[in-house]
Amino acid sequence: MANTDPDAGAARAGRKSYLSQSQAAFLLLLPFLAVYALFLVYPFFRGFWISLHDWNLLAVAFNPDAKEFVGLRNYERVMWGRNIEWAAFASPLLQGVGLLGMVAAAVLRYRGRISRATAVALATGSALLFLLPGFHPGEDGRWYDRRFWPTVGNTVLFVGLTVPGVTLTALILAAAMNRETRAMSVLRTLFFLSQVLSVTVVTLIWQIMFSPRQGLIANITEAFGGTPINWLTDEQFAMTAIVIATIWWSLGIAMILFLAGLQDISKDLYEAAALDNATGARAFWHITLPNLKRTITLVVILQIILHFQVFGQSHLMTQGGPNDTTQVLVRYIYQTGFRDSELGRASAMAVFLFVIMGGFSVLQFLVGREKE
Amino acid sequence: MNRGYYWLVLALSIPAFIWLVPTIWMVSLSFQPNDVLARTTSTTALGLIPIPFTAENYGALFSFGQTPWWFLNSVIVSLGMTLGVLAVSTTAGYALARLDFPFKATIATICLIGLMVPEQAVFIPLYTMFADFGWHNSYHALILPRMAVPIGVFLMMQFFKAIPKDIEEAARLDGVGWLKIFWYVMLPLARPAMMTLAILTFLYAWNDYLWPLVSAQQREYFTITLGLASIQSNFAQSEGLGRVMASGVIASLPVVLLFLIFQRYVVQAMTVGGSKG
Repeated sequence: MANTDPDAGAARAGRKSYLSQSQAAFLLLLPFLAVYALFLVYPFFRGFWISLHDWNLLAVAFNPDAKEFVGLRNYERVMWGRNIEWAAFASPLLQGVGLLGMVAAAVLRYRGRISRATAVALATGSALLFLLPGFHPGEDGRWYDRRFWPTVGNTVLFVGLTVPGVTLTALILAAAMNRETRAMSVLRTLFFLSQVLSVTVVTLIWQIMFSPRQGLIANITEAFGGTPINWLTDEQFAMTAIVIATIWWSLGIAMILFLAGLQDISKDLYEAAALDNATGARAFWHITLPNLKRTITLVVILQIILHFQVFGQSHLMTQGGPNDTTQVLVRYIYQTGFRDSELGRASAMAVFLFVIMGGFSVLQFLVGREKE
Repeated sequence: MNRGYYWLVLALSIPAFIWLVPTIWMVSLSFQPNDVLARTTSTTALGLIPIPFTAENYGALFSFGQTPWWFLNSVIVSLGMTLGVLAVSTTAGYALARLDFPFKATIATICLIGLMVPEQAVFIPLYTMFADFGWHNSYHALILPRMAVPIGVFLMMQFFKAIPKDIEEAARLDGVGWLKIFWYVMLPLARPAMMTLAILTFLYAWNDYLWPLVSAQQREYFTITLGLASIQSNFAQSEGLGRVMASGVIASLPVVLLFLIFQRYVVQAMTVGGSKG
């Protein structure tokens, strides 16, 4: 095919092409590579670098030499403690779930019910859930940072409530609205609308929705003769409140991804099932769910990544309170760095966040690449 | 359409209405007088209908307060970021998808690995860098970090890969240079993808909270999203509930309009954005 080589053709045409293909490519790549190197790759490594230092924001701002290299001390100060021990039943509930998850992954994979990537994901997640909560301070021991692990726990709880909430609601709605009619398209628009709002508008709306004095929810409660709940300042309800606001906000993407997945399921399958009298809920259970397994896995992973980075809802609605019950990881990083000026420790936590997010990104990539 | 279908639509209308209620409520409160709201928010139909009605909350936004200025900042930052992202993403995406050059696979991999790095994991080092440069409290500080996120490159690369080879080869045989092919042949073809990317970036820029919170400390450089956060903590006392809600409505207007007009692109953009970072 040498005679169709475009460069040779250009040369034959007798006109001068100013740039060779490689030169043109590098010229076109240069702007992106420059900003990428400067504002993503470099900061990424600099984050590691900062995490290895005792680095006070204000002190270093005045005197660049005011930082001190401390190796992995920041990681120790954040994640470890004195006399830390591990036991299989330090936190029976979480570890039990982890153990069950590992067994479930093995059994489901053995029976061929789930793909390899899903099995690995489930097993890894469950193993971590079994391992991590097992660590606890022994006698006379304590965590160096008393707030870090509870904060991680709150973040996991937030994810653990939000993701199933969004996934189930979105799945049911998507299955019900999977028709190309005018009415369905209007309904989809209504459900999607809140997704385009900014986090500060969402928190503004829900802060007042939940307000015990002025809130719509309190108004409704009172109309039925009940006593309004202090949603955002009651330890029992604060997390639920920000989860509700988040589900309301982020239902749209999950719904749209499910609708896209549903489009790929052949209509013939439903027609064949209808002949066997499987319609409605039965068709959903026997046809929709099995064919949507990969989409569901992807949507779940994607939401875990998204919601693990929750910040605004906690920062604006509850300020992490009451009593730290809604303190989440990104807000703790922000506070440690910018209120307490401890950039070294904050960076160590940011690296921790990156490692977790990176793990899920790899998983997302593997599942995404898998064949149906 | 059978009876079951109409029942389904009816049954779905109820949750759809409930889903819409918080938004309706914000709009309704923004049209009620502050002194009434200070007493009760449920004057008519639990407050969902703005009676007594007033538009003075919107007038007040423009006569004093910084909302118009923040709005303008958001427009400048969002448009600047959109143009910047489009420029670097279309060029790099085209090179990676259509041109041959040394170390191509390596460069492509390095670029796409960046999709794994969340903003929250780099905002501290970015803060110290921009502080060293003395760049905080400026428009470019708000714009530049997002230009480094490879999601746009990924999107454009996918699109350019799908264009048939012969279009470009015909031009090459006529002796047209690569840059001209990119500008005159490829970019016009890429309009739908560019539209999706532009909307994705604009929405991100308009709604971003964490980086502006860290970078813009002077109120003159607040975006509307950040400004709204700064007035909502003590809304009831200082500003008046109605006026804060009016700020919320104004802050949402551009993205809601964008959504209603370009619904298909917005949904596509958020799907891509959601699924790839």
